[in-house]
Amino acid sequence: MAIVYEFVWQVLHVLLHIHRTLITWFRIRLRNWNGRLWSRALTALIVPMALSFPNQKNIVPAPGKRVDRRYRWGADGKSLEKLPDHIGLLIAEEEPRYTDIANLVVWCMAVGISYVSVYDNYGVFRRDNSRLMDEILKQQQELLDLEGSKQLCVEFLNNGTDKQDQQVLSCQSVLKVLSPDDGKLRIVQAAQQLCRAVEQRDKTSKDINVTVLDSLLRESKSTPDPDLVLKFGPVESTLGFLPWHIRLTEFILTRLFKTLL
Amino acid sequence: MSWIREGELNLIEKLSANILKAGPMPKHVAFIMDGNRRYARKRQVERQEGHTQGFDKLAETLRWCLNLSIHEVTVYAFSIENFKRSKDEVDGLMELAKQKFIRLLEEQCFLNVCFAYTSRHEIANAVGEMAWGVEQGLIKSSDVSEALLSRCLYSSNSPNPDLLIRTSGEVRLSDFLLWQTSHSCLVFQSVLWPEYSFWNLCDAILQYQLNHRPLQKARDQHREGQALQQHEADRACLADLLQHHGNGKPLDAQRRREALLNYTASREERVQDFLGALQHKRDSFLTDLTSQAALA
Repeated sequence: MAIVYEFVWQVLHVLLHIHRTLITWFRIRLRNWNGRLWSRALTALIVPMALSFPNQKNIVPAPGKRVDRRYRWGADGKSLEKLPDHIGLLIAEEEPRYTDIANLVVWCMAVGISYVSVYDNYGVFRRDNSRLMDEILKQQQELLDLEGSKQLCVEFLNNGTDKQDQQVLSCQSVLKVLSPDDGKLRIVQAAQQLCRAVEQRDKTSKDINVTVLDSLLRESKSTPDPDLVLKFGPVESTLGFLPWHIRLTEFILTRLFKTLL
Repeated sequence: MSWIREGELNLIEKLSANILKAGPMPKHVAFIMDGNRRYARKRQVERQEGHTQGFDKLAETLRWCLNLSIHEVTVYAFSIENFKRSKDEVDGLMELAKQKFIRLLEEQCFLNVCFAYTSRHEIANAVGEMAWGVEQGLIKSSDVSEALLSRCLYSSNSPNPDLLIRTSGEVRLSDFLLWQTSHSCLVFQSVLWPEYSFWNLCDAILQYQLNHRPLQKARDQHREGQALQQHEADRACLADLLQHHGNGKPLDAQRRREALLNYTASREERVQDFLGALQHKRDSFLTDLTSQAALA
Protein backbone atom coordinates (compact mmCIF):
# COMPACT_ATOMS: atom_id res chain seq x y z
CA MET A 1 0.00 0.00 0.00
CA ALA A 2 2.85 2.36 0.86
CA ILE A 3 4.30 1.82 -2.59
CA VAL A 4 1.02 2.84 -4.20
CA TYR A 5 0.91 6.06 -2.18
CA GLU A 6 4.50 6.82 -3.06
CA PHE A 7 3.79 6.26 -6.73
CA VAL A 8 0.78 8.56 -6.64
CA TRP A 9 2.88 11.16 -4.80
CA GLN A 10 5.57 11.03 -7.49
CA VAL A 11 2.95 11.43 -10.22
CA LEU A 12 1.39 14.35 -8.34
CA HIS A 13 4.71 16.15 -8.08
CA VAL A 14 5.55 15.58 -11.73
CA LEU A 15 2.15 17.02 -12.69
CA LEU A 16 2.73 20.01 -10.42
CA HIS A 17 6.10 20.71 -12.01
CA ILE A 18 4.62 20.49 -15.49
CA HIS A 19 1.78 22.75 -14.41
CA ARG A 20 4.21 25.32 -13.04
CA THR A 21 6.41 25.23 -16.12
CA LEU A 22 3.42 25.69 -18.42
CA ILE A 23 2.02 28.59 -16.39
CA THR A 24 5.42 30.31 -16.35
CA TRP A 25 5.84 29.79 -20.09
CA PHE A 26 2.40 31.25 -20.80
CA ARG A 27 2.99 34.22 -18.53
CA ILE A 28 6.27 35.04 -20.23
CA ARG A 29 4.72 34.78 -23.68
CA LEU A 30 1.75 36.88 -22.64
CA ARG A 31 4.01 39.46 -21.06
CA ASN A 32 6.21 39.75 -24.14
CA TRP A 33 3.21 40.06 -26.41
CA ASN A 34 1.45 42.51 -24.11
CA GLY A 35 4.68 44.35 -23.40
CA ARG A 36 5.19 45.32 -27.04
CA LEU A 37 1.59 46.45 -27.32
CA TRP A 38 1.71 48.35 -24.07
CA SER A 39 4.98 50.13 -24.67
CA ARG A 40 3.72 51.40 -28.03
CA ALA A 41 0.44 52.57 -26.51
CA LEU A 42 2.16 54.25 -23.60
CA THR A 43 4.68 56.00 -25.79
CA ALA A 44 1.90 57.36 -27.96
CA LEU A 45 -0.13 58.59 -25.00
CA ILE A 46 2.35 59.62 -22.39
CA VAL A 47 5.12 61.37 -24.27
CA PRO A 48 3.00 64.45 -24.92
CA MET A 49 1.74 64.34 -21.30
CA ALA A 50 5.25 64.11 -19.90
CA LEU A 51 6.38 67.09 -21.89
CA SER A 52 3.53 69.22 -20.62
CA PHE A 53 4.03 68.63 -16.87
CA PRO A 54 4.24 72.05 -15.19
CA ASN A 55 7.09 71.36 -12.77
CA GLN A 56 9.61 70.59 -15.45
CA LYS A 57 10.36 74.10 -16.66
CA ASN A 58 14.03 73.88 -15.88
CA ILE A 59 14.57 70.76 -17.97
CA VAL A 60 16.09 70.96 -21.41
CA PRO A 61 13.18 70.01 -23.64
CA ALA A 62 14.97 67.32 -25.58
CA PRO A 63 12.26 64.71 -26.08
CA GLY A 64 14.67 61.80 -25.83
CA LYS A 65 13.12 58.49 -24.82
CA ARG A 66 15.25 58.27 -21.65
CA VAL A 67 14.26 61.67 -20.35
CA ASP A 68 10.58 60.87 -20.93
CA ARG A 69 11.01 57.59 -19.15
CA ARG A 70 12.66 59.25 -16.18
CA TYR A 71 9.88 61.77 -15.77
CA ARG A 72 7.14 59.30 -16.52
CA TRP A 73 8.41 56.99 -13.82
CA GLY A 74 8.91 59.87 -11.44
CA ALA A 75 5.35 60.99 -12.08
CA ASP A 76 4.11 57.42 -11.61
CA GLY A 77 5.83 57.38 -8.26
CA LYS A 78 4.37 60.71 -7.18
CA SER A 79 0.89 59.66 -8.23
CA LEU A 80 0.93 56.69 -5.84
CA GLU A 81 -0.67 57.30 -2.46
CA LYS A 82 2.13 55.73 -0.51
CA LEU A 83 5.60 54.71 -1.57
CA PRO A 84 7.74 52.36 0.48
CA ASP A 85 10.79 54.08 1.95
CA HIS A 86 12.88 50.95 1.73
CA ILE A 87 12.52 48.08 -0.73
CA GLY A 88 14.46 44.85 -0.39
CA LEU A 89 15.25 42.69 -3.41
CA LEU A 90 15.78 39.13 -2.25
CA ILE A 91 17.41 37.09 -5.00
CA ALA A 92 16.92 33.43 -4.32
CA GLU A 93 18.12 32.28 -7.70
CA GLU A 94 21.12 30.05 -8.25
CA GLU A 95 22.46 32.27 -11.03
CA PRO A 96 21.51 35.88 -10.47
CA ARG A 97 20.85 37.95 -13.58
CA TYR A 98 22.78 41.14 -13.05
CA THR A 99 21.11 43.13 -15.83
CA ASP A 100 17.62 42.38 -14.57
CA ILE A 101 18.54 43.21 -11.00
CA ALA A 102 20.21 46.43 -12.12
CA ASN A 103 17.05 47.33 -14.03
CA LEU A 104 14.98 46.82 -10.93
CA VAL A 105 17.28 48.98 -8.83
CA VAL A 106 17.17 51.76 -11.40
CA TRP A 107 13.39 51.58 -11.64
CA CYS A 108 13.08 51.81 -7.86
CA MET A 109 15.32 54.86 -7.89
CA ALA A 110 13.36 56.44 -10.74
CA VAL A 111 10.03 55.98 -9.01
CA GLY A 112 11.42 57.65 -5.89
CA ILE A 113 12.29 54.87 -3.44
CA SER A 114 14.86 56.21 -1.01
CA TYR A 115 16.51 52.94 0.03
CA VAL A 116 16.98 49.80 -2.02
CA SER A 117 18.64 46.67 -0.62
CA VAL A 118 19.87 43.79 -2.72
CA TYR A 119 20.38 40.43 -1.04
CA ASP A 120 21.28 36.94 -2.10
CA ASN A 121 21.76 34.03 0.26
CA TYR A 122 25.15 33.02 -1.18
CA GLY A 123 26.67 36.42 -0.47
CA VAL A 124 27.73 36.73 -4.11
CA PHE A 125 26.77 40.38 -4.48
CA ARG A 126 28.62 41.35 -1.34
CA ARG A 127 31.79 39.56 -2.38
CA ASP A 128 31.76 40.77 -5.96
CA ASN A 129 29.79 43.99 -5.85
CA SER A 130 31.75 45.65 -8.64
CA ARG A 131 29.95 43.67 -11.31
CA LEU A 132 26.55 44.66 -9.93
CA MET A 133 27.61 48.30 -9.61
CA ASP A 134 28.87 48.43 -13.18
CA GLU A 135 25.63 46.97 -14.41
CA ILE A 136 23.60 49.48 -12.41
CA LEU A 137 25.59 52.40 -13.72
CA LYS A 138 25.17 51.08 -17.22
CA GLN A 139 21.39 50.75 -16.84
CA GLN A 140 21.19 54.19 -15.25
CA GLN A 141 22.81 55.57 -18.39
CA GLU A 142 20.68 53.57 -20.74
CA LEU A 143 17.33 53.91 -19.06
CA LEU A 144 17.52 57.29 -17.41
CA ASP A 145 20.33 59.17 -19.10
CA LEU A 146 22.01 59.89 -15.78
CA GLU A 147 25.73 60.35 -15.76
CA GLY A 148 27.94 58.92 -13.15
CA SER A 149 26.53 58.00 -9.82
CA LYS A 150 25.41 61.44 -8.82
CA GLN A 151 21.94 60.32 -7.92
CA LEU A 152 22.76 56.98 -6.41
CA CYS A 153 24.91 56.25 -3.40
CA VAL A 154 26.11 52.82 -2.56
CA GLU A 155 26.45 51.88 1.05
CA PHE A 156 27.56 48.70 2.67
CA LEU A 157 26.18 47.70 6.00
CA ASN A 158 28.58 47.83 8.98
CA ASN A 159 29.94 51.13 7.81
CA GLY A 160 27.71 53.35 9.89
CA THR A 161 29.58 56.52 10.70
CA ASP A 162 28.51 60.14 10.86
CA LYS A 163 30.33 60.78 7.64
CA GLN A 164 28.19 58.13 5.99
CA ASP A 165 25.04 59.86 7.23
CA GLN A 166 26.08 63.14 5.66
CA GLN A 167 26.88 61.46 2.41
CA VAL A 168 23.55 59.71 2.44
CA LEU A 169 21.63 62.97 2.89
CA SER A 170 22.98 64.33 -0.35
CA CYS A 171 21.85 61.32 -2.37
CA GLN A 172 18.48 60.69 -3.86
CA SER A 173 18.65 56.95 -3.33
CA VAL A 174 20.82 54.66 -1.29
CA LEU A 175 21.66 51.15 -2.41
CA LYS A 176 22.63 48.56 0.17
CA VAL A 177 24.24 45.30 -0.82
CA LEU A 178 23.49 42.63 1.78
CA SER A 179 24.46 39.05 2.52
CA PRO A 180 23.53 36.49 5.19
CA ASP A 181 26.34 37.90 7.35
CA ASP A 182 24.24 41.03 7.77
CA GLY A 183 21.47 38.96 9.34
CA LYS A 184 22.02 36.53 12.18
CA LEU A 185 25.77 37.04 12.29
CA ARG A 186 25.28 40.75 12.80
CA ILE A 187 22.92 40.07 15.70
CA VAL A 188 25.50 37.71 17.22
CA GLN A 189 28.20 40.36 16.84
CA ALA A 190 25.99 42.90 18.59
CA ALA A 191 25.39 40.35 21.36
CA GLN A 192 29.14 39.81 21.70
CA GLN A 193 29.67 43.54 21.93
CA LEU A 194 27.09 43.84 24.71
CA CYS A 195 28.55 40.87 26.57
CA ARG A 196 32.01 42.39 26.35
CA ALA A 197 30.59 45.57 27.88
CA VAL A 198 29.14 43.45 30.68
CA GLU A 199 32.50 41.69 31.12
CA GLN A 200 34.17 45.05 31.48
CA ARG A 201 31.46 46.15 33.91
CA ASP A 202 30.31 48.98 31.61
CA LYS A 203 26.84 47.45 31.53
CA THR A 204 24.80 44.92 33.46
CA SER A 205 22.71 42.15 31.93
CA LYS A 206 19.57 43.98 33.04
CA ASP A 207 20.49 46.93 30.79
CA ILE A 208 19.96 44.83 27.70
CA ASN A 209 16.62 45.27 26.02
CA VAL A 210 15.07 45.64 22.55
CA THR A 211 15.95 49.34 22.29
CA VAL A 212 19.62 48.81 23.10
CA LEU A 213 19.92 45.92 20.65
CA ASP A 214 17.99 47.82 18.00
CA SER A 215 20.30 50.83 18.19
CA LEU A 216 23.30 48.55 17.69
CA LEU A 217 21.70 46.82 14.71
CA ARG A 218 20.52 50.02 13.10
CA GLU A 219 23.81 50.97 11.50
CA SER A 220 22.52 54.40 10.58
CA LYS A 221 19.74 56.23 12.41
CA SER A 222 18.11 57.35 9.19
CA THR A 223 17.80 53.95 7.54
CA PRO A 224 14.28 52.59 7.91
CA ASP A 225 13.40 48.91 8.12
CA PRO A 226 12.42 47.37 4.78
CA ASP A 227 8.75 48.12 4.10
CA LEU A 228 8.53 45.73 1.19
CA VAL A 229 10.61 42.76 0.09
CA LEU A 230 10.36 41.34 -3.41
CA LYS A 231 11.64 37.79 -3.51
CA PHE A 232 12.73 36.32 -6.84
CA GLY A 233 13.54 32.68 -7.21
CA PRO A 234 12.11 29.23 -6.72
CA VAL A 235 12.42 29.08 -2.92
CA GLU A 236 9.59 30.33 -0.68
CA SER A 237 11.66 31.58 2.22
CA THR A 238 13.45 34.66 3.51
CA LEU A 239 16.71 32.67 3.42
CA GLY A 240 18.22 34.58 6.30
CA PHE A 241 17.36 38.09 5.09
CA LEU A 242 17.83 40.55 7.99
CA PRO A 243 15.73 38.65 10.57
CA TRP A 244 15.72 41.56 13.04
CA HIS A 245 14.56 44.16 10.53
CA ILE A 246 11.68 42.34 8.84
CA ARG A 247 9.18 42.24 11.65
CA LEU A 248 6.60 44.35 9.76
CA THR A 249 7.87 43.91 6.24
CA GLU A 250 5.42 42.94 3.51
CA PHE A 251 6.59 40.10 1.29
CA ILE A 252 5.86 39.55 -2.37
CA LEU A 253 7.14 36.11 -3.29
CA THR A 254 7.52 35.56 -7.01
CA ARG A 255 9.18 32.64 -8.66
CA LEU A 256 10.63 34.23 -11.77
CA PHE A 257 12.11 37.55 -12.72
CA LYS A 258 10.69 37.45 -16.19
CA THR A 259 7.12 37.52 -14.98
CA LEU A 260 7.67 40.84 -13.23
CA LEU A 261 9.83 42.68 -15.75
CA MET B 1 -17.43 20.63 22.45
CA SER B 2 -14.22 18.72 22.93
CA TRP B 3 -10.87 20.47 23.01
CA ILE B 4 -9.26 18.23 20.46
CA ARG B 5 -11.88 17.12 18.01
CA GLU B 6 -12.45 13.41 18.13
CA GLY B 7 -13.56 13.26 14.49
CA GLU B 8 -11.31 11.37 12.17
CA LEU B 9 -10.66 12.26 8.54
CA ASN B 10 -13.10 11.03 5.92
CA LEU B 11 -11.99 8.56 3.27
CA ILE B 12 -10.85 11.07 0.66
CA GLU B 13 -9.02 13.10 3.29
CA LYS B 14 -7.35 9.99 4.65
CA LEU B 15 -6.28 8.97 1.16
CA SER B 16 -4.83 12.41 0.47
CA ALA B 17 -3.04 12.40 3.80
CA ASN B 18 -1.43 9.07 2.99
CA ILE B 19 -0.32 10.29 -0.43
CA LEU B 20 1.21 13.42 1.07
CA LYS B 21 2.97 11.39 3.74
CA ALA B 22 4.83 9.52 1.00
CA GLY B 23 6.92 12.67 0.59
CA PRO B 24 8.90 14.73 3.10
CA MET B 25 6.62 16.05 5.86
CA PRO B 26 7.25 19.03 8.11
CA LYS B 27 7.88 18.02 11.71
CA HIS B 28 7.08 21.45 13.15
CA VAL B 29 4.51 23.82 11.70
CA ALA B 30 3.88 27.37 12.85
CA PHE B 31 0.55 29.12 12.30
CA ILE B 32 -0.26 32.82 12.40
CA MET B 33 -3.99 32.44 12.94
CA ASP B 34 -5.18 35.67 11.39
CA GLY B 35 -8.64 36.61 10.17
CA ASN B 36 -11.00 36.05 13.10
CA ARG B 37 -12.24 39.61 13.14
CA ARG B 38 -12.66 39.80 9.38
CA TYR B 39 -14.59 36.56 9.51
CA ALA B 40 -16.90 37.99 12.17
CA ARG B 41 -17.49 41.08 10.00
CA LYS B 42 -18.13 38.92 6.97
CA ARG B 43 -20.65 36.77 8.82
CA GLN B 44 -22.04 39.83 10.55
CA VAL B 45 -21.62 38.38 14.01
CA GLU B 46 -19.94 39.62 17.15
CA ARG B 47 -16.14 39.74 17.14
CA GLN B 48 -16.15 37.32 20.03
CA GLU B 49 -17.92 34.80 17.84
CA GLY B 50 -15.09 35.11 15.32
CA HIS B 51 -12.58 34.32 18.03
CA THR B 52 -14.64 31.38 19.24
CA GLN B 53 -14.72 29.95 15.76
CA GLY B 54 -10.99 30.54 15.52
CA PHE B 55 -10.47 28.64 18.72
CA ASP B 56 -12.51 25.72 17.42
CA LYS B 57 -10.59 25.81 14.19
CA LEU B 58 -7.34 25.50 16.14
CA ALA B 59 -8.63 22.34 17.78
CA GLU B 60 -9.62 20.93 14.41
CA THR B 61 -6.27 21.84 12.85
CA LEU B 62 -4.42 20.10 15.65
CA ARG B 63 -6.36 16.94 14.88
CA TRP B 64 -5.42 17.21 11.21
CA CYS B 65 -1.78 17.75 12.10
CA LEU B 66 -1.81 14.65 14.27
CA ASN B 67 -3.25 12.66 11.39
CA LEU B 68 -0.53 14.01 9.14
CA SER B 69 2.15 13.00 11.67
CA ILE B 70 3.03 16.60 12.42
CA HIS B 71 3.95 16.36 16.07
CA GLU B 72 4.78 19.94 16.91
CA VAL B 73 2.70 23.02 16.26
CA THR B 74 3.38 26.60 17.31
CA VAL B 75 0.62 29.15 17.07
CA TYR B 76 0.59 32.90 17.34
CA ALA B 77 -2.47 33.87 19.26
CA PHE B 78 -2.57 37.06 17.31
CA SER B 79 -4.29 38.99 19.99
CA ILE B 80 -4.93 37.99 23.52
CA GLU B 81 -8.62 38.43 22.69
CA ASN B 82 -8.45 35.13 20.87
CA PHE B 83 -8.70 33.41 24.20
CA LYS B 84 -10.84 35.93 26.08
CA ARG B 85 -13.90 34.34 27.61
CA SER B 86 -15.90 34.52 30.85
CA LYS B 87 -14.20 33.13 33.95
CA ASP B 88 -16.47 30.06 34.13
CA GLU B 89 -15.87 29.32 30.50
CA VAL B 90 -12.13 29.64 30.95
CA ASP B 91 -12.09 27.38 34.01
CA GLY B 92 -14.18 24.74 32.25
CA LEU B 93 -12.08 24.96 29.15
CA MET B 94 -8.79 24.72 31.03
CA GLU B 95 -9.99 21.59 32.84
CA LEU B 96 -10.97 20.03 29.52
CA ALA B 97 -7.71 21.17 27.97
CA LYS B 98 -5.74 19.62 30.82
CA GLN B 99 -7.40 16.26 30.17
CA LYS B 100 -6.76 16.53 26.47
CA PHE B 101 -3.20 17.72 26.90
CA ILE B 102 -2.43 14.59 28.88
CA ARG B 103 -3.62 12.64 25.88
CA LEU B 104 -1.50 14.82 23.62
CA LEU B 105 1.52 14.04 25.77
CA GLU B 106 0.81 10.35 25.38
CA GLU B 107 0.85 10.84 21.65
CA GLN B 108 4.07 12.83 22.08
CA CYS B 109 2.84 16.01 20.52
CA PHE B 110 3.76 19.53 21.38
CA LEU B 111 1.66 22.63 21.12
CA ASN B 112 3.37 25.95 21.70
CA VAL B 113 1.12 28.94 22.10
CA CYS B 114 2.66 32.37 21.83
CA PHE B 115 0.79 34.80 24.03
CA ALA B 116 1.65 38.48 24.02
CA TYR B 117 4.83 37.52 22.22
CA THR B 118 7.22 39.45 20.01
CA SER B 119 10.28 37.97 18.40
CA ARG B 120 12.45 41.01 19.04
CA HIS B 121 11.80 40.74 22.77
CA GLU B 122 12.64 37.07 22.62
CA ILE B 123 15.96 37.76 20.89
CA ALA B 124 16.81 40.64 23.24
CA ASN B 125 15.95 38.41 26.18
CA ALA B 126 18.26 35.68 24.85
CA VAL B 127 21.08 38.22 24.57
CA GLY B 128 20.30 39.33 28.13
CA GLU B 129 20.53 35.74 29.33
CA MET B 130 23.94 35.33 27.71
CA ALA B 131 25.02 38.58 29.34
CA TRP B 132 23.79 37.14 32.65
CA GLY B 133 25.95 34.10 31.98
CA VAL B 134 28.94 36.36 31.43
CA GLU B 135 28.11 38.28 34.62
CA GLN B 136 28.00 35.04 36.58
CA GLY B 137 31.35 34.05 35.13
CA LEU B 138 29.85 30.97 33.49
CA ILE B 139 30.77 31.92 29.93
CA LYS B 140 33.02 34.42 28.19
CA SER B 141 31.80 37.01 25.70
CA SER B 142 33.78 35.17 23.02
CA ASP B 143 31.59 32.09 23.62
CA VAL B 144 28.58 33.94 22.24
CA SER B 145 27.56 32.38 18.95
CA GLU B 146 24.50 31.85 16.78
CA ALA B 147 24.04 28.35 18.19
CA LEU B 148 24.21 29.62 21.75
CA LEU B 149 21.73 32.39 21.06
CA SER B 150 19.31 29.83 19.61
CA ARG B 151 19.66 27.77 22.81
CA CYS B 152 18.73 30.82 24.88
CA LEU B 153 15.48 31.55 23.09
CA TYR B 154 12.17 30.52 24.62
CA SER B 155 11.83 27.99 21.82
CA SER B 156 15.13 26.27 22.63
CA ASN B 157 13.46 22.92 23.27
CA SER B 158 11.89 22.86 19.82
CA PRO B 159 13.44 22.49 16.41
CA ASN B 160 12.94 25.46 14.07
CA PRO B 161 9.59 25.41 12.28
CA ASP B 162 9.80 23.74 8.87
CA LEU B 163 6.71 25.55 7.65
CA LEU B 164 5.14 28.88 8.56
CA ILE B 165 1.55 29.46 7.47
CA ARG B 166 -0.22 32.80 7.72
CA THR B 167 -3.89 33.05 6.89
CA SER B 168 -6.15 35.95 5.91
CA GLY B 169 -3.98 37.15 3.04
CA GLU B 170 -1.61 39.33 5.05
CA VAL B 171 1.99 38.91 3.92
CA ARG B 172 3.87 40.00 7.02
CA LEU B 173 5.65 38.10 9.78
CA SER B 174 4.42 40.54 12.44
CA ASP B 175 7.32 39.95 14.82
CA PHE B 176 6.69 36.21 15.02
CA LEU B 177 9.62 33.78 15.24
CA LEU B 178 11.85 36.01 13.10
CA TRP B 179 15.02 34.18 14.14
CA GLN B 180 13.60 30.66 13.95
CA THR B 181 11.94 30.97 10.55
CA SER B 182 14.92 32.30 8.62
CA HIS B 183 15.05 29.08 6.58
CA SER B 184 11.45 27.94 6.91
CA CYS B 185 9.05 27.55 4.03
CA LEU B 186 6.69 30.54 4.07
CA VAL B 187 3.14 30.04 2.87
CA PHE B 188 0.72 32.94 2.80
CA GLN B 189 -2.87 31.87 2.29
CA SER B 190 -5.80 34.19 1.71
CA VAL B 191 -8.37 32.07 3.56
CA LEU B 192 -9.56 33.48 6.88
CA TRP B 193 -8.51 31.41 9.87
CA PRO B 194 -12.00 30.31 11.02
CA GLU B 195 -12.60 29.06 7.46
CA TYR B 196 -9.39 27.06 7.28
CA SER B 197 -9.88 23.64 5.77
CA PHE B 198 -7.98 20.37 5.58
CA TRP B 199 -7.31 21.13 1.91
CA ASN B 200 -5.72 24.48 2.78
CA LEU B 201 -3.38 22.59 5.09
CA CYS B 202 -2.60 20.05 2.37
CA ASP B 203 -1.87 22.88 -0.06
CA ALA B 204 0.60 24.39 2.41
CA ILE B 205 2.28 21.03 2.93
CA LEU B 206 2.56 20.57 -0.83
CA GLN B 207 4.33 23.93 -1.02
CA TYR B 208 6.67 22.70 1.69
CA GLN B 209 7.37 19.54 -0.28
CA LEU B 210 8.10 21.48 -3.46
CA ASN B 211 10.55 23.70 -1.57
CA HIS B 212 12.03 20.95 0.54
CA ARG B 213 15.22 20.23 -1.38
CA PRO B 214 16.40 23.81 -2.04
CA LEU B 215 15.58 24.77 1.56
CA GLN B 216 17.48 21.78 2.89
CA LYS B 217 20.42 22.82 0.74
CA ALA B 218 20.26 26.40 2.01
CA ARG B 219 20.04 25.20 5.62
CA ASP B 220 23.01 22.85 5.21
CA GLN B 221 25.01 25.61 3.61
CA HIS B 222 24.17 27.95 6.47
CA ARG B 223 25.14 25.32 9.02
CA GLU B 224 28.47 24.76 7.29
CA GLY B 225 29.09 28.48 7.31
CA GLN B 226 28.28 28.59 11.02
CA ALA B 227 30.69 25.74 11.77
CA LEU B 228 33.41 27.48 9.82
CA GLN B 229 32.81 30.74 11.65
CA GLN B 230 32.94 28.95 14.99
CA HIS B 231 36.18 27.26 14.03
CA GLU B 232 37.71 30.58 13.00
CA ALA B 233 36.51 32.19 16.23
CA ASP B 234 38.07 29.40 18.29
CA ARG B 235 41.35 29.80 16.46
CA ALA B 236 41.34 33.54 17.02
CA CYS B 237 40.61 33.09 20.73
CA LEU B 238 43.35 30.51 21.04
CA ALA B 239 45.83 32.77 19.31
CA ASP B 240 44.83 35.54 21.70
CA LEU B 241 45.26 33.27 24.71
CA LEU B 242 48.65 32.04 23.59
CA GLN B 243 49.79 35.57 23.00
CA HIS B 244 48.82 36.65 26.49
CA HIS B 245 49.63 33.57 28.47
CA GLY B 246 52.05 31.67 26.28
CA ASN B 247 55.74 31.47 26.89
CA GLY B 248 56.54 33.26 23.65
CA LYS B 249 57.59 30.16 21.78
CA PRO B 250 55.46 29.43 18.68
CA LEU B 251 53.72 26.06 18.76
CA ASP B 252 54.25 23.44 16.07
CA ALA B 253 51.29 22.30 13.98
CA GLN B 254 50.59 19.24 16.11
CA ARG B 255 50.61 21.18 19.39
CA ARG B 256 48.47 23.87 17.83
CA ARG B 257 45.88 21.31 16.75
CA GLU B 258 45.81 19.80 20.21
CA ALA B 259 45.53 23.19 21.83
CA LEU B 260 42.64 24.07 19.52
CA LEU B 261 40.82 20.85 20.36
CA ASN B 262 41.34 21.50 24.05
CA TYR B 263 40.06 25.05 23.71
CA THR B 264 36.96 23.91 21.81
CA ALA B 265 36.26 21.21 24.40
CA SER B 266 36.58 23.65 27.28
CA ARG B 267 34.34 26.17 25.52
CA GLU B 268 31.69 23.51 24.96
CA GLU B 269 31.89 22.51 28.62
CA ARG B 270 31.45 26.11 29.74
CA VAL B 271 28.45 26.46 27.44
CA GLN B 272 26.86 23.27 28.78
CA ASP B 273 27.26 24.47 32.37
CA PHE B 274 25.77 27.82 31.45
CA LEU B 275 22.78 26.21 29.71
CA GLY B 276 22.23 24.01 32.75
CA ALA B 277 22.24 27.05 35.01
CA LEU B 278 19.86 28.87 32.64
CA GLN B 279 17.44 25.95 32.62
CA HIS B 280 17.55 25.85 36.41
CA LYS B 281 16.84 29.59 36.58
CA ARG B 282 13.84 29.18 34.27
CA ASP B 283 12.50 26.15 36.12
CA SER B 284 12.73 27.98 39.45
CA PHE B 285 10.92 30.94 37.93
CA LEU B 286 8.07 28.70 36.76
CA THR B 287 7.92 26.85 40.07
CA ASP B 288 7.73 30.12 41.99
CA LEU B 289 5.03 31.32 39.61
CA THR B 290 2.87 28.22 39.99
CA SER B 291 3.31 28.10 43.76
CA GLN B 292 2.25 31.75 43.94
CA ALA B 293 -0.78 30.92 41.79
CA ALA B 294 -1.62 27.99 44.07
CA LEU B 295 -1.45 30.19 47.14
CA ALA B 296 -3.68 32.85 45.54
